[in-house]
Amino acid sequence: MDKRTNEEWVADLRAGGDRQAQALEDLRAIILRGLPYAIAERIAPNSPESEALVEEVVQETLMRVLEYLDTFEGRSQFTTWAHKIAVRAALTELRRVRWREVPLPEMEMDDDADTSYREAPDKGANPEEQVAQAEMMKRVNRILMEELTDKQRQALTAIMEGFPLEEAAQRLDTNRNALYKLLHDARLRLKKRLEKEGLTPQEVLSVFEQAGR
Amino acid sequence: MKITQFIQRLFGFRKQKLSSEGASANPSEKMRKMMAMLSNTQDVELTCDEVFALLDQFTELAAQDEDVAQLMPLVQQHLDMCDDCREEYKVLQSILQGAV
Repeated sequence: MDKRTNEEWVADLRAGGDRQAQALEDLRAIILRGLPYAIAERIAPNSPESEALVEEVVQETLMRVLEYLDTFEGRSQFTTWAHKIAVRAALTELRRVRWREVPLPEMEMDDDADTSYREAPDKGANPEEQVAQAEMMKRVNRILMEELTDKQRQALTAIMEGFPLEEAAQRLDTNRNALYKLLHDARLRLKKRLEKEGLTPQEVLSVFEQAGR
Repeated sequence: MKITQFIQRLFGFRKQKLSSEGASANPSEKMRKMMAMLSNTQDVELTCDEVFALLDQFTELAAQDEDVAQLMPLVQQHLDMCDDCREEYKVLQSILQGAV
């Protein structure tokens, strides 16, 4: 039976005994129907890895549902709430597997003077545009160096290179939530510094987007 | 790593790889990404945990064609900024659309 109301789900899962076991079995079936949406295109379906992942995620989800049942406030369908937990568990595991061999960029910073803006930032740009781009890169770089901590720069670089927050957080000995806050603070600092220098993000970008037109 | 190496890493300024790495080595692309992030940055933003707590409600409202950007703007803003949370939202959305 998977047509329970939210209240019935909560009551059955709290009941213990056969009633709880039946509810868990029904919830398991629901989660199993949703999981392919999370893992399709990310891992070969019906592979041993996929089957192991599905079993692991289902178990973890059912445990978390029971653990956090008291936090369910009924603002959505109970099954949507459970799917949400399953999706987070599945994607977290898939990201871990996908990124486990990839090291974070090394970020041992020093205060060496910048000297190497001789390279053309954009090969489609004309010489004047290249100079303007190099000058803007230099300016942005100076702001990044002056406003951000080493950890913020490292986190920002990782995110720009496509690292999932969860994985970057683990390498930086923090958690996803704290890393988001760290990056938010970094973005705010950069944005305010640009404003202080009379620049908007759009103006910075326009220097690079004009090239080759 | 020196300052110049940092910016090279961040924006992909690698002379010999400009043409071979595509978008990943395109400084304009990375600059666009960074400036878009700064442009969308708000003084107050929800964290991943706060958005996770609301994601089921948000996704159901979106599935009902409600204007979620208007109803829950802070959640929408976070999803615009955070690749991880946006990916989770998209999967949850596809589950609801599949009406499993």
